[in-house]
Amino acid sequence: MNKWFVPLVLLVAPALLMAGGAPPNSDSLPTEVAKGRQIYEQYCAACHGWQGEGAANWNKPDEKGEMPPPPHDETGHTWRHSDAMLFRMIAEGWRHPFNKTDRLAMPAFEDTLTDEEIQWVIEYLRTLWTDDQRRYQQNESQDINQAESPS
Amino acid sequence: MKTMVYRLNSGVSRLFLFALVAVMPGLVQAESANDAQAVKALATDSSGALLVLRDSGLLVLDDKTAADIPLPPSDSGAQPRSMAKGADERLYLAGPGLGIWRYEYASERWHSLNDTLPDLGITAIAAHATQPETLYAYLGEGGMFRSRDGGGEWVKVDGGPREPVQAFLHSDMPGSMESGWLFAGTTRGVARSMDCFCFWGDAGELRGAVTAIDYDPSAPENVYAVIEGQLHHSSDGGETWVGLEIPQAITALTFSPKEGLVVGTENGDLLSRNASGEWVPVHE
Repeated sequence: MNKWFVPLVLLVAPALLMAGGAPPNSDSLPTEVAKGRQIYEQYCAACHGWQGEGAANWNKPDEKGEMPPPPHDETGHTWRHSDAMLFRMIAEGWRHPFNKTDRLAMPAFEDTLTDEEIQWVIEYLRTLWTDDQRRYQQNESQDINQAESPS
Repeated sequence: MKTMVYRLNSGVSRLFLFALVAVMPGLVQAESANDAQAVKALATDSSGALLVLRDSGLLVLDDKTAADIPLPPSDSGAQPRSMAKGADERLYLAGPGLGIWRYEYASERWHSLNDTLPDLGITAIAAHATQPETLYAYLGEGGMFRSRDGGGEWVKVDGGPREPVQAFLHSDMPGSMESGWLFAGTTRGVARSMDCFCFWGDAGELRGAVTAIDYDPSAPENVYAVIEGQLHHSSDGGETWVGLEIPQAITALTFSPKEGLVVGTENGDLLSRNASGEWVPVHE
């Protein structure tokens, strides 16, 4: 039995690793998510990482005194923001208030991407989170909507 | 002659009695306002009166009067340690073994907000600066909890900073991705996060166990923290800090609409700054 065990592990392990850690294949994704991934890879991945892993040491200011691009995967805090806030951040950009520079470290994409394309990116980002994080983010989005809707 | 002496004595006695009657309430009030117990926490009510928490109880103190508010009931004898004023001026008290309680001024009663907390080990609370129904609580190793319905339902939102939190503050300082900032006084210094709980980072390089923290609502970049009885001030939202000289060890602080920054001391005194910037007793 042992002589079969090692080859079996070698055969199956890469598939298990891919299933656990790699992002989903574009072919298997819903259309909106696949489009979002394509846009993410074109405009966002260079700073936020191809797997959404963010910059190294993203939670400390870099040598310019700017907060580096954070992860969008489950190790970051993107999942803590409502849909409305994520949309605003992508559309209008963002400068951390304690950055030592004045520029928008996260550039504004409202002149580059349509509203629909921004929504697709957010749909793709959701696939990088855990189930619990998706639930949390959904609740945040609902709470914000309720708070902003007229009573 | 005897009659004259009697009349004189009688007059002096009456004068003494009259003086005693006139002065006694003041003496009682002064004793009540400062009974030499360290001030544990400070806040203000809607009229601007100071709320002073000591081991002996909770006192409402304004220019002319001092009145006690009975503490929330506790079978275990647990004492409140943390006090916060909501955006709607409601008063919250919390402490290990006590959980969180809200005081209703109209009915003069305390209401428990502990139904959905996993236990009563709350060491610090904060109220959202502008959203009356949003409250924050730190439950030691249990992490950070938030309620968005005035304490009806508590939800764990975060583990909190790496070190234990001893003082907690929500601020409406501009620049947050969400609605404000959280400052946590930990055993290592001041930790800061946007109120999305995005991540906790050091607020500057102030080091030491923080026992009290507050900010100036009229100039929110101004944050004050107490470490080992020393008052520290940041005028840039916690990026840099300078020590402030005060003649006594500080144990609590708050911002009063009337007095500005008010500090409570280890000796039980309440001090604020006069026009010259000198620390002087409050209500004296």
